[in-house]
Amino acid sequence: MLKKIFPTLGRFRFTVQIVMLFVTVYGGALLGSYTVDRISQALPSLSCAFDKTTGDHCILIVSQHQLHHRIGEALVKAQEITLKVFVPTLISVATFFAFFFFLNKAFCGWVCPMGTVQELLYRIGRRLGRPLNRFSPDNVERVRPVKWLMLLVLALGLPLMAGMGFAANELGDPYCQVCPSRLATTLLTADTEQIAVRTGKNINFFLGALGNAMFGFVVIAALAARQPFCRICPLLSWNAMFQRLSPMRLVKQQHDKCEKCGVCEKACPMDIHEIGREHGKKAFHEDCTLCGRCAEYCPDDDVIQIKFFGIKLFGSSREYYKQRVKQESPEGMPKNRVIWLKQAK
Amino acid sequence: MRSLSMMLLLFSGAALAEAPQPAMPGMEHAHHAHAMRSWTDLPLLKTKAGGESRERVIVVPQNIVADAVDAYSNKLADENGRRRLPLDMAGAKLDKPASGGFHWLAAREEQGDEVRVASAVYYFGERGAENPTDMFITQKHELEIVPQPYPREHSRYRANEDWKFLVRFQGHPVVGQMVALETQNGTKSVWVSDAQGVVTVHLPDDFNAETDGKEIGGSRGMGMRGSDFVLAARRADGGKTYLTAFNAAYGKNAFDQRSIVMGLGFTLLGMLGAVPLLRQRRKKNDMPEQPEQTEQKEEA
Repeated sequence: MLKKIFPTLGRFRFTVQIVMLFVTVYGGALLGSYTVDRISQALPSLSCAFDKTTGDHCILIVSQHQLHHRIGEALVKAQEITLKVFVPTLISVATFFAFFFFLNKAFCGWVCPMGTVQELLYRIGRRLGRPLNRFSPDNVERVRPVKWLMLLVLALGLPLMAGMGFAANELGDPYCQVCPSRLATTLLTADTEQIAVRTGKNINFFLGALGNAMFGFVVIAALAARQPFCRICPLLSWNAMFQRLSPMRLVKQQHDKCEKCGVCEKACPMDIHEIGREHGKKAFHEDCTLCGRCAEYCPDDDVIQIKFFGIKLFGSSREYYKQRVKQESPEGMPKNRVIWLKQAK
Repeated sequence: MRSLSMMLLLFSGAALAEAPQPAMPGMEHAHHAHAMRSWTDLPLLKTKAGGESRERVIVVPQNIVADAVDAYSNKLADENGRRRLPLDMAGAKLDKPASGGFHWLAAREEQGDEVRVASAVYYFGERGAENPTDMFITQKHELEIVPQPYPREHSRYRANEDWKFLVRFQGHPVVGQMVALETQNGTKSVWVSDAQGVVTVHLPDDFNAETDGKEIGGSRGMGMRGSDFVLAARRADGGKTYLTAFNAAYGKNAFDQRSIVMGLGFTLLGMLGAVPLLRQRRKKNDMPEQPEQTEQKEEA
């Protein structure tokens, strides 16, 4: 029965993504205004607090506020750096980790609404016959540090500086001001407030303009490139800090054919070339979102697996691969215009 | 919306009730609070941060003679679920309980056959705070105006928005109840509850150069400027008259100091920046590989 509904891991993941898109974007409206924003308030996905109907909040807005309002202020007063000050932040991180522990970076590949929106746009791009722009191994190396810069400067550094009084108060949540998920999720609820740029203060205006321009770029770029924003998302780097601490893992065994094959590299939406060349720890790269496409498109039995506490949840297999490539190429090009309906029969 | 004259008629009793009254024994401090000047004659509960601490808030009743403020937390069964906060010269001190979250605040005055209640909500930021629905649903007074819902964290009442409130009497929704709205910026209007006892109030966009607003919301407001409003309902029953007011702060409209034209302009600019990606010519190695080719390659 389940196999009929979810014939592939990709189909299962897409269903989870759509359900989570509704939970993270409209969850508050469906389940009650007060109830669902209490789920974690530290979700490892870009679930935006500016969305009035969101089901939960992203860890980044919480950490920015705590650095701005609590830690920064306390540091500058140099008197109350006590557990009372740090406890809220520790609780945030602990809450985040309680969720993260079970799914690891699958929050990026399965839950994040911004990831889902980009994937949907990419699918539209395939239908429209747009070209696929990929990052070469050299180019992707240049892009990768940006996510760490985004985390250290926008999500952590500036809010702390603002709290200490070394930066303008408007820099209390600079990442949120440029986050494309803020615009995407609020627009999905027909709320146009966030797309209107703040004009009151220069810093707000600059950040707002930058955020809108980035959002516009991501929307169009996603038609011709896979997950353009995910590559520089500070949550990707934040989650990467914890990815070795979760029992949910991507595991790859060494195999002779890997050097010549490279299909898994083509299937990877994050252009992680290491997945084709490396094995062991190196194959579970910091950019991995645990989407599972590499495992789906690996033509050899159990070379790539997704494991939880050492138990295989999904493993590559030749038979599965043969079926999968009949439906969709590793790059995501559908082989049939009505894949969904055909599979349901 | 009904006429202003209807509103004056509705609340003429409230104005009469505001006539100076002798202080009751033991209520000198409360009476002091009552004597503070206010922008309305309706009962109010004002909240202000207790110094630099985020753990305490001072509650100041205005236009009502009360000797205490009742505080209900979102964890009603807790030891801090229902607290009676004594009033002193500064007001009543509400300390943040471990559970944090939403608090319903109320002050009550009963003089002869007149019962007056002031009510407001205060929110202490706290992760994992209890769902406040039970706190809002629980009957606390005879006549009540209950937000449906109250703005949650990262949200607030704002001008030019519609918000719903449930009007209850003895715990039951009241149909066709007139509810008056007054704002600190001078707007006065009257609204009527529907068949479910819910009144939908449109908060007026009444800020101007003179009423530019003050900072609202404390840590929740994050420097947002705004003003105050109060909703009030009056009802006579069993020889008594009940007047209940609910007050809160509201901010400027969502698009104040925002430009949607510029926002769309910058979004478009970003889109244009990505257009070359769409127009890029397909190179050979960009073409999606056919499954047969992939198979052959893999077999090789």
